[in-house]
Amino acid sequence: MTDTTIDTEVAHDDQADHGDHPTEKQYWVIFAVLAVLTAVEVAWSYLGLSGPALVLPLIAMMVVKFILVAGIFMHLKFDLSIRNGGVFSYVFAFGLVLAILVYAVLLVTVVWPIG
Amino acid sequence: MTDLATPVDGGSAADDHNQHQDSHDDHAPTSLGLSNSKLAMWLFLGSECLLFGALISTYLLSKARFIAELTAGNPNVIEGLMPAEEVEALGDGVRGSFETLPEIFNEMAMEGSVEPIFDIPFTSFSSFVLLMSSLCMVLAHKATEERDYKNQRVWLATTALLGSVFIGGQIYEFTAFYREGLTFGGSLFGSAFFTLTGFHGVHVTGGILMLVSLLVLSFRGKLKSDRSETVELVGLYWHFVDIIWVLIFTIVYLIP
Repeated sequence: MTDTTIDTEVAHDDQADHGDHPTEKQYWVIFAVLAVLTAVEVAWSYLGLSGPALVLPLIAMMVVKFILVAGIFMHLKFDLSIRNGGVFSYVFAFGLVLAILVYAVLLVTVVWPIG
Repeated sequence: MTDLATPVDGGSAADDHNQHQDSHDDHAPTSLGLSNSKLAMWLFLGSECLLFGALISTYLLSKARFIAELTAGNPNVIEGLMPAEEVEALGDGVRGSFETLPEIFNEMAMEGSVEPIFDIPFTSFSSFVLLMSSLCMVLAHKATEERDYKNQRVWLATTALLGSVFIGGQIYEFTAFYREGLTFGGSLFGSAFFTLTGFHGVHVTGGILMLVSLLVLSFRGKLKSDRSETVELVGLYWHFVDIIWVLIFTIVYLIP
């Protein structure tokens, strides 16, 4: 087989092997959603809002983008349903949650006296 | 870790498939039943959360201190953010009357004393470029699994190119900030900002080197479908770097 040839039968077997992983079209759709969210984020920051009206939607959009990249591009969404019992999800989530907790406590402890 | 040095010859479609199937059959012959390489990468990424959590926290802390001192009217805080003559030209009325960093810079810009320090349209373009590179990375992985080696090389090269564009943009941005007076040693805010964004830039640079290594392996015929996990591991790292930029872009650039 040459480098550029794709054996359709083999490719079909392979897709079955990888279960629910997204198709190429779905990856493009996710990218479009991420791009639109980024555009909305930037537009929102130019609306002249302040306080929670500015910050909360920006945080919400940031979290959605985070979940889309980690869940779809990094395949964590499919981690639970494949063969490893979601171990990779838990390993990553442990580090993430630990970081958020440790530094949230740090910031509250240190910033509070400044305020 | 996956052995990158072991050659895999081209062979027929059947051979290629058999190799691929074998790699799945012995995908995780470990005591945990998991791929050691993938588990190690996820543990590494989990620890990276702590590193960037520390850097982002330090940035937020230094910004809080900066704003507290600025609203208290300490002119020394402004020094290090702009040339000394511009600081003197501001006068006491400007300092100490604003609550947030963008307000300070925007007011200064309105008075013509200094341009806003963050170029949001430019940084937005950089964010778009990095998101696009994540898409290319995942398509490179998919092409590897489907034995479409031509597209594998195209997407890997495009990912590396987009990463390079991002780094080029960051170098341009750092240079512009330096000329505006925001330096690494000039203020606590400057130190925290450059440390955070600089560390991210170093991670992107490391990712580009990994991508170039994959490209070399691919051209040598050593990155066939049975090595798709190698592409996936580099992809995990690349997507993580993208995720960190999603956080930095919102927290540092968009939220006052």
